[in-house]
Amino acid sequence: MNRILLTGATALALFFSGAAQAQQRIKVELWQGLTGDLGSAVEEVCQRFNESQKEFEISCPTQGSYDAAVQNAIAAFRAKKQPTIVQVFDAGTLDLMLSDAFVPARRLMEENGYKIDWANYFPGIANYYASGKGELFSFPFNSSTALFYWNKDAFAKIGKSEAPKTWQEVEASARALKSAGYGCPMAINHDTWTLLEQFSAIHGQPIATKDNGYGGLDAELVINKTKFVDYIKFIKKGLDEGLFKIKLPETGANIVQAFASGDCQMMMSSVADHGTVGKTAKPEMQWSVAMLPVLEGTKRLNSLVGGASLWVLSGKSKDEYRAAAAFLNFIAKPESELFWSTRTGYIPVTKTGFQHLKTQGFYDKPQYKGRELALESLTATEVTPLSRGIRLGGFIQIRKEMRDALADIFAGKVSVEEGINAGVERSNAILRRFEKTYAGKQLL
Amino acid sequence: MDRRAVFKTAWIGGLLLAPQLLLVFTFFYWPTGAALFWAFTLERPWGGGNEFAGLDNFRMVFSDAAYWGAVWRSMVFALGSTALAMGLALLFALFCDRQLRGYKAYQTMLIWPYAVAAPAAGVAFRFLFAPEAGVFAALNKIHPDFWNPSVNGVHAMILIIVAYSWKYLAYNFIFFLAALQSIPRTLIEASAMDGSGPLRRMWDIQFPLLAPTLFFLLVINLTDSFVDSFGIIDLTTGGGPSKATTLMVYKIYFDGFKGLDYSGAAAQSIVLMLLVMALTFVQFRYIERRVHYR
Amino acid sequence: MIERTPVLNFVTHAVLFIGLAIAFVPMWLVFVAATLSLQEINTPPISLIPGSHLWDNIAEAWTRADLGVKLTNSLIMSLAVAAGKIAIASITAFAIVFFRFPGRMVAFWLIFITLMLPLEVRIVPTYAVAANVFSPYQAILDATGLSWLWQQLTGTELALEWNLLNSYTGLVLPLVATATGTFLYRQFFLTVPEELLEAAKMDGAGPMRFFREILIPLSITNMAALFTIMFIYAWNQYLWPLLIVTDRANHGTAVMALRQLIPMTGDSTGGGVPDWNVAMAGCLIVVAPALLIVALMQRFFVRGLIASDK
Repeated sequence: MNRILLTGATALALFFSGAAQAQQRIKVELWQGLTGDLGSAVEEVCQRFNESQKEFEISCPTQGSYDAAVQNAIAAFRAKKQPTIVQVFDAGTLDLMLSDAFVPARRLMEENGYKIDWANYFPGIANYYASGKGELFSFPFNSSTALFYWNKDAFAKIGKSEAPKTWQEVEASARALKSAGYGCPMAINHDTWTLLEQFSAIHGQPIATKDNGYGGLDAELVINKTKFVDYIKFIKKGLDEGLFKIKLPETGANIVQAFASGDCQMMMSSVADHGTVGKTAKPEMQWSVAMLPVLEGTKRLNSLVGGASLWVLSGKSKDEYRAAAAFLNFIAKPESELFWSTRTGYIPVTKTGFQHLKTQGFYDKPQYKGRELALESLTATEVTPLSRGIRLGGFIQIRKEMRDALADIFAGKVSVEEGINAGVERSNAILRRFEKTYAGKQLL
Repeated sequence: MDRRAVFKTAWIGGLLLAPQLLLVFTFFYWPTGAALFWAFTLERPWGGGNEFAGLDNFRMVFSDAAYWGAVWRSMVFALGSTALAMGLALLFALFCDRQLRGYKAYQTMLIWPYAVAAPAAGVAFRFLFAPEAGVFAALNKIHPDFWNPSVNGVHAMILIIVAYSWKYLAYNFIFFLAALQSIPRTLIEASAMDGSGPLRRMWDIQFPLLAPTLFFLLVINLTDSFVDSFGIIDLTTGGGPSKATTLMVYKIYFDGFKGLDYSGAAAQSIVLMLLVMALTFVQFRYIERRVHYR
Repeated sequence: MIERTPVLNFVTHAVLFIGLAIAFVPMWLVFVAATLSLQEINTPPISLIPGSHLWDNIAEAWTRADLGVKLTNSLIMSLAVAAGKIAIASITAFAIVFFRFPGRMVAFWLIFITLMLPLEVRIVPTYAVAANVFSPYQAILDATGLSWLWQQLTGTELALEWNLLNSYTGLVLPLVATATGTFLYRQFFLTVPEELLEAAKMDGAGPMRFFREILIPLSITNMAALFTIMFIYAWNQYLWPLLIVTDRANHGTAVMALRQLIPMTGDSTGGGVPDWNVAMAGCLIVVAPALLIVALMQRFFVRGLIASDK
């Protein structure tokens, strides 16, 4: 009897102390922009963090899209209801960088007693989110770069077993594939990230003056004077000849779906789609990835990082910053990076993370094979001023202008030169407007 | 509109008005004032200062070819959808009002689309008109790009006009039918006894009596097409291909929320606001008079 | 009326049948699409006959977008908007039509101008207000120096705050704060014969009694019409909930959830595959309640409209 009472009391005591502890957990929010499977993956990361310790509790609601995450975070920030951490995509970087709305990554970690080896981050990734002097402002999180996807079965039919390395080889393969009866040798969309940004980086072509904007807010777009023009002419010719086909999500099949279903035999897309293709393609379909092709006679430079980084917003309490620092420290651990890369197609962002993945044999597993190419592509050369990244204001609008320009060009509404010139002109107007808005602000 | 018999207890009247006035001030005038302020400054999205810009934002908007493109497309959309939705609704209402056998069933079904959320209609029509899975998929197999709103801007515009009109067809039908039913039957019967046939009566009696409704709906349709198209566009074409379906309200949304150019979007909002105000004013004056002479 | 017009009757039926087809065929195709498997739906030509996967697709859409919670939220929001509109619109219109006091016309115009500017074009500042409803008042107090006075007198800082983000109040209030219903009610009250008021006054009825015992019973159909319109208006809201709800899992609405069912346009990342069958099943679920309301309330709805139009 006594004993039962005792255990009862203990249980009760335990229950209360447990409840008290649960109540004391410091709660923070991370607003993410991913949805669907990738969104759930982020939530699992948060869940893992919550289980790894008892002091903090993070929740990671999705805002529906990258755009929406930024929009909502801004609206909330202005209303002083901002989350502690927000996931901001590459194009939204500069607006935030010029504001007082964030706590720089280094300061946050130092103030909360974490010793981070900043050199551990791959420079090709970190530079995109760092000041001109290389100091990290936000934490690289879901990072990717573009890869070239090709269907091995189809290539076997035309007697090839290697991915094309140059665009000239792509063209020859596409021609052969077309003669072999393939209706869509290569899928193309209007994505400026692959067609413009990655292309310019790996070919060492400037996108804008002032080292793609790193040198000051008065940069101007110059893509109407670079190899980009020839490249788009090349793509347009391929489209006209039926070697490339436009595939867009608006109407049912984006390029990833068109490739995974076997309809299209080549495409350029993010390494993050590696998992999607693996999951949605027919199991018997043989496919692989390669680095993006270059124009013949070009020396390849490193490609650009894409995806998003995690920004810590200002105006929160000390406790919330402690929680944020703990979380950001947690996701940079090699084990977390392994989980993240296994669960999604994203790549590890630290050297130790990459090593860890290698030693665990991650890249030898058939379903992940080829993803190491993303890192190879990102680290192909030392980072040059032109392959460091893009630091342009209003870049979301600029991307849209250039996407519209490409759409018009590919639809045959305007000539290649006309289209690109118009896009550049409109983009430069956006840049000037941005410069005016941030008059008196200096790039860090 | 003045009545002779009224209460004169001012404080009760004021008290009764207070809730709505408070709501309107808090959620309408204050935010509108803020938007107005932004239209004359260069606002930084993350806060931290703004520059007074005078009329620069408006100058930029009006010198922007893309803006005039959006205005032009808004006009096309407004006229296209209004003509389609009102024309068909009037036709169906006139015939439905003949009250032949089974007219109740027609009447019921024709009202239903009114209940469908614009975004849902957008999603549905996006599927129905999808080049690779929808109604036109078979034709596309025979003739590639026979129908492809993701590449062809004209197709995309047709797509959003059809999806939008589908919903507003029902709305207009309700009003036309209501107006027709309010025409005294005796009037029509008298005319029938004079020996005029149904079509004659439609033209001579019903049509002229519909004029006020026609005008009212015309203004409502035009106004709504300027502001209510957002949901459909967002879930159907996303403003594309290129800018082929970027109407004024979608451009405001894109520039402001996606492009983070709050001031440019605010200036555009002010222009749109003036436009809608002008239309509403016309409508209001007119309805005011109509109430008088009835 | 007895008339023999066989040709015209045939034409009438033909025209109405076309109208019926226009209204109904898209709905039917959506329904059919919701019953197909992913493979069937991606094989042209488009099927006209339902398949056998309706429940699978509905279940998939239901779990993927977590529609149970979303539908409940939509229902609460729509009922609250409809009820709020009726309450506010009726008393406001009552004050405008049946009272005579200074500033009445100013108030009247202040309210009616709100018809002209949709929520869409002033959404960011409206959001800021929703985050703290008292912020306009705080700003006024700060600007006029009253906050300072308060601080001097009481020694405490005056900070008003009422946050509406992620709440039903936040979803509802800004939608109630327009004049649509007020307009309808005003039109209706203008048709109330003056004799009624004179008679009531002679019986010694005060304004509130007149409102309660005469106007409200008279305006039942009007109320039903407004209820239907407002319920559907609120149910179909898209942009506002999208912004004000950041906690989508708990406070999201059904129409918002449509976004989760189809890949968004212009999104180059995330290789979303459009499974139209599931998207269409989701569409059906989201649209059904509003359809049901219109189907059930149709009589009131049309009659109410006619009444308010006279």
